[in-house]
Amino acid sequence: MSDRKEIAKKEDKSIEKTRALRSAIPTVDIYENDDEILLHADMPGVKKEDISVNIDNGTLSLSGVRRFDNKGVSKWEEFSDVEYVRSFSVPQSIDVEQVEAELKDGVLKLHLPKSEVAKPKMIEIKTV
Amino acid sequence: MFTRISDIDRLFGTMNFLQKKLDNLYSDYGRSSGYRWELEQTFPRTNFYENGDSFEIRAEVPRLEKNDLNVKIQGNYLEISGTRESDAPEGYKTHKTERGIGSFSRSFTLPADVDSTKVEATLKDGVLYLILPKHEAAKPKKISIS
Repeated sequence: MSDRKEIAKKEDKSIEKTRALRSAIPTVDIYENDDEILLHADMPGVKKEDISVNIDNGTLSLSGVRRFDNKGVSKWEEFSDVEYVRSFSVPQSIDVEQVEAELKDGVLKLHLPKSEVAKPKMIEIKTV
Repeated sequence: MFTRISDIDRLFGTMNFLQKKLDNLYSDYGRSSGYRWELEQTFPRTNFYENGDSFEIRAEVPRLEKNDLNVKIQGNYLEISGTRESDAPEGYKTHKTERGIGSFSRSFTLPADVDSTKVEATLKDGVLYLILPKHEAAKPKKISIS
């Protein structure tokens, strides 16, 4: 038989495994006004350099990795190393070039400004 | 019966798919949803480690600043309390609020007395790190054999 394939994957057979990072969904708040959409996401323990924010084809994806160096014997662990992942669909009216992100006290704040075209306009009514 | 290897391969593919689906069931870790206890949403999660002569407690406290947190220690009793204020901006419409607000208090009984004068508390990236050195009497001692 020429089309022989491996039924079990290599990684499943190897004895030593690297533990996959558990993924978690960060809790978010979303606000909007006439100029922008604001997104606040709780990502405790994630450093600035370990966050990536991608906007592609109308999808905003957040990813933040946190790793702790653990010393000593743990008596209890309620949280651990984790990758925060979440994606949102954003309207086309967002000005991708102007998106700003800030990280403070484990909270990621994303400013998604609306493009000029999408801003609401007041239409003046003329009296004839 | 002759089964083509590709059929088997497809079968495994389906199993992997199901496995993934199952994994996703647990990925709502830390998310507030109907079947979780209310308590978990506002109480910070903590980790506890014991080193030779000190304890370490870590707590997830996103959004909290130094002034929003209180740490009290007495003998082997430790209490962490704080208030989470809403950081909703003015003049914005709210679409989604998943992040809880309110005050919390959590207390622990440590396995041994700690020296409250030498406790170090640092707040970094929304995580509180508490280093609690054990009291002199509780520290491990090396006994030499004569």
